Amino acid sequence: MTVLQRCSALVLLSSLVLPLSGAEGLAAGSGSRPEATAAQLLARGGGGGRMGGGGGGGGGRLGGGGGGFGGGGGRRAQTGFQGAGAGLNRGDARPTGGWSSRVGSDSARPSLDRSAINRDRQGLQQRQGDRLGSRDGSRPFNADDSRNLNRDFNTSVNRNWNRTVNVNNLNLSPGWARPGWGVARPWGYGWYGVSAVPAWGWWGARAATWGLATLTTAAIINNAVDNAIADNSTYIVVPNSSYQLLYGTVAPTSDSGISFDVTANGSTYQLSADCRAGTLNGQQPNTAAEAELLNAACQVAFGSA
Amino acid sequence: MPKCSLLPRCTGLGAAVSLALLTLPLPGRADALYTLQTKCSLNGAAPVACTVEAVNEAAATLYHHRIGNQTITVRISDKPVRMALWNATSKQWQSLERAAALFSTNTVCFNGAALCVVNANYLNSVREDNPAAMARRDLVKVHFGGDGRINASCYDDGCGVVQK
Repeated sequence: MTVLQRCSALVLLSSLVLPLSGAEGLAAGSGSRPEATAAQLLARGGGGGRMGGGGGGGGGRLGGGGGGFGGGGGRRAQTGFQGAGAGLNRGDARPTGGWSSRVGSDSARPSLDRSAINRDRQGLQQRQGDRLGSRDGSRPFNADDSRNLNRDFNTSVNRNWNRTVNVNNLNLSPGWARPGWGVARPWGYGWYGVSAVPAWGWWGARAATWGLATLTTAAIINNAVDNAIADNSTYIVVPNSSYQLLYGTVAPTSDSGISFDVTANGSTYQLSADCRAGTLNGQQPNTAAEAELLNAACQVAFGSA
Repeated sequence: MPKCSLLPRCTGLGAAVSLALLTLPLPGRADALYTLQTKCSLNGAAPVACTVEAVNEAAATLYHHRIGNQTITVRISDKPVRMALWNATSKQWQSLERAAALFSTNTVCFNGAALCVVNANYLNSVREDNPAAMARRDLVKVHFGGDGRINASCYDDGCGVVQK
């Protein structure tokens, strides 16, 4: 072996050995190796992920869903315990949308009081309703409304909605789309919808032709998202339309721009909007339904909730 | 050629080894995840402004909660999940007895109400890490045994079932 070969071997050996010895030292220090191995075996037993069959579900670094007795199916036996998750974890995996640097709501305060949530929410909705007013006929609604297929709402698809997407490829449930989503959104929010009348330049004249005074209130849209989350539904029906807004896909592209996905007439489209300018895919809305869609998406992105 | 004559010829590669050592993810290296301006509450008192600094350090994530001139550090490791509180007096980590989270208020509490914090970042990560288990969950509680491992956990109304 030449001198050069000997020295190269030394470098290679160092690179290979050092990370391993470090990891072993850490594992020994925490005494975690036996338990980690057991957890891995449990996860393997369940099959995990999409192949895991019925209840319990899979995925995640900790080996899948929470407790219960898993359903049948899959190529491996369902033990019923494969998804016995710990509940909490390190919380170090960067979620969709990234990390927030500040809590954007002054009213957010630490609390484990579940009953207080409903009281606070009812109060908030009342205050918002008082401030923003409510158009005739508007009512609280939820994702269940979508199951009424006999409605006669405008389902037109604008010709400039030219980007269809496969809904199966979308991340419909980012970490923030959960109970507490208003504060959990990892971006700046709270400025949209503070006035009953949109600040959009085109609003007055066009709304008059549509016979609209105001758009659906923030409280109603927030309530729809809350209900959809509670129902484990990935969309809300946009008020006064049949558009299904996939609320979990709403994401900011700038301080006023957003992208989101919407299902209409059986297809799903990726749209963009500017919540300050009031444009949808770069254009002013053509119909009241499009305006409602724009308003709903902007409320989910930047409204108070 | 005598062995000692090899040394000068290996010097360059020795430097390469040293460089490799410096760039490898060695234990103890800290990676800042985020700094969050938020609200904290101590022992059930009124919420106050605080800062959470989350740092990955070796096999754990450290959460430094700065409240005024006080810093409370919680260390969370996984596989299995353990949580510990830094005792500045004894200079030792002490395992937590319990922890809880309420997603709808974005709250995480350690040892009952000893320290509660609004930390949506943590909960977003938890949620996304295990979506099947967390779907339709709001309240999550975990209890740690004498060995520091979780020996009980519950969700929502189930927490009333398992409570002593």
